[in-house]
Amino acid sequence: MTKRRMFLRMVTASLLRRRSRMLIALLSIGIGSTILAGLLTIYYDVPRQMRAQMRSYGANMLLMPEDGTTLDSAKLEETLETFPEDALVGASPYRYVRLDMTSRQQSFTTAGTDFEQVQKTSPYFSVEGNYPEAAREILVGKEVAETIGVKVGSEMELTWQPTLSQAGNEASAEGAEGNNASADWVPGATLVGSAEGFGEAVLSVTAKLDDEAKIAEFEVDASTQTEDIGSLAGTDEAFLSQFIGKELPLELGKDVDALSGATITSEAVVNALNSARSAETAARPSTAKYTVSGILVTGGEEEGYVFMSLTDLQNLTGEDRLDVAELSVSADEEQLNGYCEEIASQGSGVSARLVKRVTKSETAVLGKLQALVFLVTVVVLLLTMICVSTTMMAVVSERRKEIGLRKALGASDNSIRGEFLGEGMFLGLLGGVIGAVLGFVFAQVVSINVFGSSITFQPLLLPAAVIVSMAIAAVSCLAPIKRAVAIDPALVLKGE
Amino acid sequence: MLFRLIRGVLLHQRSKMLLIAVTIALGASLATGMLNVVMGVEEKVNKELKNYGANITVKPKDASLLSDIYDVGDGGELNTAYLREDELGKLKTIFWAFNIVDFTPFLSAEAVLTDGTQAEVTGTWFNHHLSLPTGEELDAGVQSMRSWWEITDGRWLDEADENAGNEIMVGTALATEKRWTVGETIELTTSQGSMKGEIVGIYDAGGDEDDQIFATLDAVQALTDREGKVASIEVSALTTPDNDLARRAARNPAALTSRDYETWYCTAYVSAICYQIQEAITGSVASAVRQVAESEGMILDKTKLLMILITALSLIGSALGISNLVTASVMERAQEIGLLKAIGAKDHSITGVVMTEILITALIGLAAGTALGFGFAQLIGRSVFGSAIDMNPAVIPIVAALIALVTIAGSLPAIRMVLRLKPAEVLHGGH
Repeated sequence: MTKRRMFLRMVTASLLRRRSRMLIALLSIGIGSTILAGLLTIYYDVPRQMRAQMRSYGANMLLMPEDGTTLDSAKLEETLETFPEDALVGASPYRYVRLDMTSRQQSFTTAGTDFEQVQKTSPYFSVEGNYPEAAREILVGKEVAETIGVKVGSEMELTWQPTLSQAGNEASAEGAEGNNASADWVPGATLVGSAEGFGEAVLSVTAKLDDEAKIAEFEVDASTQTEDIGSLAGTDEAFLSQFIGKELPLELGKDVDALSGATITSEAVVNALNSARSAETAARPSTAKYTVSGILVTGGEEEGYVFMSLTDLQNLTGEDRLDVAELSVSADEEQLNGYCEEIASQGSGVSARLVKRVTKSETAVLGKLQALVFLVTVVVLLLTMICVSTTMMAVVSERRKEIGLRKALGASDNSIRGEFLGEGMFLGLLGGVIGAVLGFVFAQVVSINVFGSSITFQPLLLPAAVIVSMAIAAVSCLAPIKRAVAIDPALVLKGE
Repeated sequence: MLFRLIRGVLLHQRSKMLLIAVTIALGASLATGMLNVVMGVEEKVNKELKNYGANITVKPKDASLLSDIYDVGDGGELNTAYLREDELGKLKTIFWAFNIVDFTPFLSAEAVLTDGTQAEVTGTWFNHHLSLPTGEELDAGVQSMRSWWEITDGRWLDEADENAGNEIMVGTALATEKRWTVGETIELTTSQGSMKGEIVGIYDAGGDEDDQIFATLDAVQALTDREGKVASIEVSALTTPDNDLARRAARNPAALTSRDYETWYCTAYVSAICYQIQEAITGSVASAVRQVAESEGMILDKTKLLMILITALSLIGSALGISNLVTASVMERAQEIGLLKAIGAKDHSITGVVMTEILITALIGLAAGTALGFGFAQLIGRSVFGSAIDMNPAVIPIVAALIALVTIAGSLPAIRMVLRLKPAEVLHGGH
């Protein structure tokens, strides 16, 4: 029989024959490593889970257009791609305007937003009734509701009064004829517009609309354009007649064809017409009726606002513009600052700012919580490991007699040490694996009960638990073995 | 005879019994420490959450909306309702006075600057020292309630300064726009008066307040000719997370049965505290800032649950550890028990001897462990929260009962097993 086989045999025989004692040792190591694996998993995952909970404090980042630029939905979408999908909890676009309540001659700050996102970025909003779902449903702040006496289900008529700054337009059109602020949409309006054509020369168009807002009469003054090429835009019957009966806005090449050889002039004609139309719409007040689907209670200034969906507000004002977007991002302060810099470096005219109140406080509170869990983990682990090693010591020192006998039979100190260590480490390995699995199960139970979400498995934890268990088993075996080995076998066997 | 046997074991098998005592002490200290932390953690975390600022705002009953709705710049004639500054101390006389940790009044006005533009100037407390009739001393104000403000230049305005009335703090956005620096003196004018303020600090609040000027309450009251008046109060209170009863009460306290009403009134729900503030301050409406109040409740609940589960794990762990060791040490003594049996000892007297030995050891371990456990709780409290965790004497009987149960549960099966062995076999050395 080789030495190695003998070693294996002794280890396994001792494990099998002394089942109850070995079971106790294994149980003890198993408990230790369960606590180790469980607590470490929780410790690693707590910041992530708690951070998700902290998002209930609402948005921690604001996206705003830089001075001199505007923000719209498309630009917002583009900017949001900066964030990894799992970090972005929600992003609510906001557009603030003042709308008049026709019947009461009062005006309210109205926010256009995306209610689905609002529920994610501001989970503390409490709504009596429901969030708006259908078109033309609105949410009214509690203070507003109390002042004007509306309830869930009431109807409100709101009017948008464009001012020069709101109509803010790149349209080069001079505006429409009959730009009378109080007038409703007049189907028979005449639109006058101008645009730069070939060689930066300005041409102008005049279109009279019929009752259905279709073009009834159309004239072009293209005298500034190249003679007999561009200037034909004002006289060519085939070109001009295309426009009659069409609804604005138009697209060149789809709704109307270009005048042959004068694409730039044709483009200018269409542009002039479209910009005249948007100037006309933008400058006109519009009114719509809304149903109150819920009353908003927050205890903050939001109670003085009216909320409607961004689509409704765009239909009312005719512009796709955002003032700000509130973002709820699950990340620590450093990462958030990183995102801000990344957005700034994109040069898209969007600037990101942190909501200090939320980010600073989150860092402070989270830091304390993590420190708490850390210290608790350290204390629990320390005590548990000492417990484990006392049990191991008791199990090993019980075998002093066996050690004495083997010494008497001529076993060397080293072979005895080796055998006991091997036995202890084997138990450590087994207990470590069992503990890592049970510990993960425990962490999972905690996570689901406390945070309602599952925990991420830390693959490094398995080897860590095994190595720690083996080390503890080995260390706690060493001391009693050393004592047993040092003693004269005769004394041990005699039972003293 | 029993006594001699026990004394013999305790003295001769000292090292073995020491091992058991140490293990029990560790288990007991773990249990004591964790239970203490769990019981104290809610209060500590609650205090930490005060970082997020006020969870209750108090406004005058009639005029809360006017300036918002009509967008009246100066407030002027419309905003006629105010709260009285001399009633602020009453906040500390309500039933839950002890839970009110901080509060600060605000009074804002639009002031005209020397260059003709307007800016909002807010009067408030910075570190206002209050000596309450109850004998309590308190420093209240924005310095603690705006913990997230970063002073980018200069310092916090100190109300203890003699010159405090002529000092102001300016938001970073406004300061950058106007190119103001610390040490400059700004003139502010309203229709009711004017003041000169020296900039002592520039702050970065990361919000609307970056465009404002902050001065002492007295200075703004004089500036706007509203002596003794405040427009709103922000209150930071320790609250109990809302439950069903609290939500019902928040809608209408009058609709509760008298018993429910009493339970609600005597629990630190945010709605109950709001209600009591309204009772104390004339003409006021106190409402919970849901962003803070709601989230606070949730985080408190989660933290407590997390700690309870960790405690449960460590309790189970230490219980198993102790009973394991006790089992091992009883089984180890199979030979001795066999000898006792061989010379005619009765089963129950053997059980009595072994149990008494172990329980005496456990008692020693328990005493040492409980003391150690209180130490651990303090260590955690001091290093994490910077303040001691309250010692909870109720923990001691719980831990004692737990240790007794675990020790007995650990020794019984082992004793039974050993008793079943035949004395001859045991003494012969077979297994």
